[in-house]
Amino acid sequence: MGKGRERNRPPAACGQNRKTERDFFVNGTILVIEDEENIRDFIATSLRAQEYKAVDAKSAKEGIALASSLCPDLILLDLGLPDMDGMEVIRSVRAWSALPIVVISARTQEKEKVTALDLGADDYITKPFGISELMARVRTALRHGVHVAGAGLSAEVFRVGGLSLDFGKRLLKVDGAEIHLTQVEYKIVAFLARNAGRVMTYDAIISHVWGPYMDDNNRILRVNMANIRRKLEKNPAEPRYIYTEVGVGYRMAEEE
Amino acid sequence: MRELFRKIKAFCKKRREDIRQRTYWVRKWEVTWKNTLVTAAILCMVTAVAWIYHRLSAGTVNIVMFYTIALIFIPRFTEGYVPGIVAAMVSVGCVNYLFTYPYFQWDFMRESYPITFVCMLLIAITVSAVTSYTKEQSRVLAAQEKQLMEAEKEKMRANLLRAVSHDLRTPLTGIIGASSAYLENGACLSEEKKRSMVEHIGEDANWLLNMVENLLTVTRIRGDLTGVNKTEEAAEEVVYEAVSRAKKRNPGIQVRVSVPDELLMLPMDAVLIGQVLINLMENAYFHARSDQPMDVYLYRKEEEAVFGVRDYGIGIPPARLDTIFDGEAMEGSGNSDSYRGMGIGLSICKTIVTAHGGRIMAHNHDRGAEISFTLPMG
Repeated sequence: MGKGRERNRPPAACGQNRKTERDFFVNGTILVIEDEENIRDFIATSLRAQEYKAVDAKSAKEGIALASSLCPDLILLDLGLPDMDGMEVIRSVRAWSALPIVVISARTQEKEKVTALDLGADDYITKPFGISELMARVRTALRHGVHVAGAGLSAEVFRVGGLSLDFGKRLLKVDGAEIHLTQVEYKIVAFLARNAGRVMTYDAIISHVWGPYMDDNNRILRVNMANIRRKLEKNPAEPRYIYTEVGVGYRMAEEE
Repeated sequence: MRELFRKIKAFCKKRREDIRQRTYWVRKWEVTWKNTLVTAAILCMVTAVAWIYHRLSAGTVNIVMFYTIALIFIPRFTEGYVPGIVAAMVSVGCVNYLFTYPYFQWDFMRESYPITFVCMLLIAITVSAVTSYTKEQSRVLAAQEKQLMEAEKEKMRANLLRAVSHDLRTPLTGIIGASSAYLENGACLSEEKKRSMVEHIGEDANWLLNMVENLLTVTRIRGDLTGVNKTEEAAEEVVYEAVSRAKKRNPGIQVRVSVPDELLMLPMDAVLIGQVLINLMENAYFHARSDQPMDVYLYRKEEEAVFGVRDYGIGIPPARLDTIFDGEAMEGSGNSDSYRGMGIGLSICKTIVTAHGGRIMAHNHDRGAEISFTLPMG
């Protein structure tokens, strides 16, 4: 059944055809790998409600097979699968594709989150989560997937809320006022801004800013972040720009 | 061949078991390498000192004192009676042979000899007996101490479990009731009513989640100081994250945060300490009955970091101040706010803080309650 024909059907005749209509107007195909039926069900339902095409897999093996045959736009991956460690899924997908992977993990396993991110997962969401949170992560990850495909961020100025960062002039303004940053602080903020919306692990930031031979003592990063926070955030308890993911890393807010 | 091997193995095993089953009294009379070496070393040392002393001053009385000291020390560093008694005999022999006239000859006929011999033997036996008795006593005491601690821990866990199962039942009843009502009478309920039922289910489930997260944190502590998985964390980040999580969960909560200018890095399990702060904030939110924002603060006091939550509400009833961290506080209270079961939350806070080597304190100030805790700077 060609999609062209589908499109030519008059929308008034919907009723029965509504579903196929939707299939066509999808925002993207999302593969949900999750063994728990209730969770899979509610994720898929809410994805469909947001005009995504959701495909689900009950096990890691099924997920890997579907990932390679369907080439989805995004994978939502639960780390606790019965047949295989979720990390293995990330490894096997990363072996041939850069498609965005969002990991679903339990709150108390921050080590696992870091491992998943370092293996190449794009983001994570912590169980239990609300629909709005899930959708925000999905949108961000899809956007970054597009960026990767489009090779290189061309934006010269990053803007979110009252913050603007001009990469060319190395100029940071918050609510119109220029903020002076040290060299290192600028590098950190710029790195986070280029990856806005995604959590960057301590290791990723350290190796970007100080180079790969820096020891893994992240105290110096924390000190710099504390200074940045004091310069950027009016009320750090309600951060507007840089969010802290304790035990994992930092995340720059993203324009919606 | 294989048969022989098996026999040897069986023999070895039996021998090991025999050794394990040796009784208290056998242990007192056995000869071991360690005892022999220690005894010989101390005796040699004393003999050397005595020899030097003898060459310098030619006195004999004090030499006996030297050996007496050795006899007191030997049982201290060895097990059982044998080393002391052997040492006593050797000492008497040495004094006789080396340090009394005629030198380098045995002379058992001197009139004071039997008395010296008997005295030294008595000292050796008495000290051995006293020492091994003391050692045994301290061993028993240590075992009792450990048992008491185990019992204490067990009691805490039992309290926790009792409180938890009591507290889990309330929201579960709500969830089960609402969902079955919805399924069975859905047809004749108004849209609005349905919506409010589902909202209640959501609320109760969120509350259950809160409880379960608290319980999960407890499983991260394996009971002793070494049980917490500590890493260096920036204390202010933990505070900020806890505040934003608490706000996300209870949108009505109002918090003023203050942190020091200096960045404090502390060894801690950030998830656990975050949980403590959230529990304290929610405790203030649900129980203070105040519409003023609470203060969450962090400062450094010498070698400790102090975290705290200060509210401006009704305060903690003085009768409960002493037991507020025991997890039983909510049992007898029986009033409506026991539903939120913060007794458990606070007892978990105490468990977490104690496992980090810190202290937690509650008191009332002029206009409300304040709970603070300390963590060592590491």
